[in-house]
Amino acid sequence: MYKRILVANRGEIALRIIRACRELGIETVAIFSDADRGAPYLELADEAYCVGPAKGSESYRKIDRVISAAEIGNVQAIHPGYGFLSENAHFNEVCRSCNIDFIGPTPEAMTRLGDKNTARRIAREAKVPTVPGSEGLIDNEAEAMRVAHEIGFPVLVKASAGGGGRGMRVALNDLALKMALQQARTEAEAAFGDGSIYLEKYVEHPRHVEVQMLADHHGNVVHLWERDCSTQRRHQKLIEESPSPRLSQQTREAMCEAAVRLGKAAGYTNAGTVEFIVDQQGNFYFIEVNARIQVEHPVTEMMTGVDLIKAQIRVASGEPLPFKQKDIKAQGAAIECRINAEDPKKNFQPSPGKITRLMAPGGFGVRFDSHAYPGYVVSPHYDSMIGKLIVHQPTRTEAIECMLRALAELRIEGIKTTVPLHREILGHAAFAEGRIDTTFIERTGLGQ
Amino acid sequence: MASSGGNAGDIFDVKKIRRLVELMNEHELSEIDLRQADQRIRIRKGGEPMVTMAPVRAQAGPAASAPEAAPAAKVDDQFTALVKSPMVGTFYAAPSPDAPAFIKVGDHVGPQSIVCVIEAMKVFNEIPAEVAGQVMAVLVENGEPVEFGQPLFKVDTRK
Repeated sequence: MYKRILVANRGEIALRIIRACRELGIETVAIFSDADRGAPYLELADEAYCVGPAKGSESYRKIDRVISAAEIGNVQAIHPGYGFLSENAHFNEVCRSCNIDFIGPTPEAMTRLGDKNTARRIAREAKVPTVPGSEGLIDNEAEAMRVAHEIGFPVLVKASAGGGGRGMRVALNDLALKMALQQARTEAEAAFGDGSIYLEKYVEHPRHVEVQMLADHHGNVVHLWERDCSTQRRHQKLIEESPSPRLSQQTREAMCEAAVRLGKAAGYTNAGTVEFIVDQQGNFYFIEVNARIQVEHPVTEMMTGVDLIKAQIRVASGEPLPFKQKDIKAQGAAIECRINAEDPKKNFQPSPGKITRLMAPGGFGVRFDSHAYPGYVVSPHYDSMIGKLIVHQPTRTEAIECMLRALAELRIEGIKTTVPLHREILGHAAFAEGRIDTTFIERTGLGQ
Repeated sequence: MASSGGNAGDIFDVKKIRRLVELMNEHELSEIDLRQADQRIRIRKGGEPMVTMAPVRAQAGPAASAPEAAPAAKVDDQFTALVKSPMVGTFYAAPSPDAPAFIKVGDHVGPQSIVCVIEAMKVFNEIPAEVAGQVMAVLVENGEPVEFGQPLFKVDTRK
């Protein structure tokens, strides 16, 4: 087991990792930027080093400084958290060449799954359903028609060089496809300098369901069931829950088993999440793998009783997982709300500023993971999430009631937050009935 | 003898400290650095008199500022410039163990003058002063780990 670990992150996840280390008797070295100097959670680490100015690229993402801090801090391993360098295969490699363990998958597995094409290929070979689409780029209209008829309308014309939802056009029939092809090409050429396009089946009203995976260095790959993250706004998750409502037990098991097959095929180790979209008919399709621990990992922890951060550390240090698949049971229902410093009245613009008052909720089955405190200045340099509120109860209905109660107790003053939006969503009939898909927030215009 | 950081009175025996200083004088030592479990005493004579004593864990954050807390520091003086570390690594005062230090108190430096070497990831980086003036103080020790932004030297820019 490690004696000392460097926490290469900040805020609530740094605090989360430090907590796990303290319980395992592992010393921690924290890093911080000028903007995070004096943060209370840093005092819980054994040592802390400033690695740069506020800007992420000059501090938390500056590989040489992070590694230097690891060297002068004398650590055996680095936990990258999420974001920042957590999915940077080069950083992973550098750690390895410096004889420091990277708490996560190997650089090779990370690279394999980081490339969307390779990941899809591995998925297909492992008999994991992928979103039907063209095998590669579309060269001409005739080919586009052929593929569209093969996979079935509606189809999505996507720019190969695009991202963030840009350069995409939905086509419902042949005529629409003709137009969409032209428009997408022109748009892509203008926006990205590359008019290459491909086709994908358009899944209407998709649900986003992901499976938590854990794999040790001894060949044991398990899943810890799923999380439904369909409550999103502009592709940003707002609420996550488990179990996924309205998913049949059969589909749930098939999806989770598919995730494990994929993990094994990719030679994956440590924690990772396999993302799927689920259509209205209950068919699931592989999208991508997040080769790191995720923000919403507490949902799975509450459901299974497994401390995922400790599991990551133990796996990385060479310990075998202390359970087999049959031992992992999901109990009750859990919901997580991401509390972001955003102003719903101003189109969810980030709302940096000083928190003048903060009172955390408590009670049976309530967990608040946050680095915030009264006086904390929410910096504009990092993402706007200031905390996660998680509840766990015997049933989904009770979990919703508990979350509403906890949200009402949570007091954050001085900045605007997404708390009112969460209360609206959780009070909505569609949420109570589990009828949420990724278009819900936009369709209903909640929060505005 | 200046005192900085820590609750010296609570943790350490004043008689013990006095005895340590006597021993230093007897044997003409300029510095002693003692550690036991998570307690540490470091006493240095000459140049910037400084007594640091603290539980080892507190060294990390405050270590960067402990030298500044010594009463002689006038950091807000408009003519005093601080040469700060641009990286994380290990500070070395000289280009090699047996070579003389790059600079010492009293030396004059220009912006391009190499004032020290910081080793990071097995690479030795020569650090330029980036200010002109006379070196008033060396704020870190040879072989000490330094963080980004940590003050290394105090320079009087009038001279």
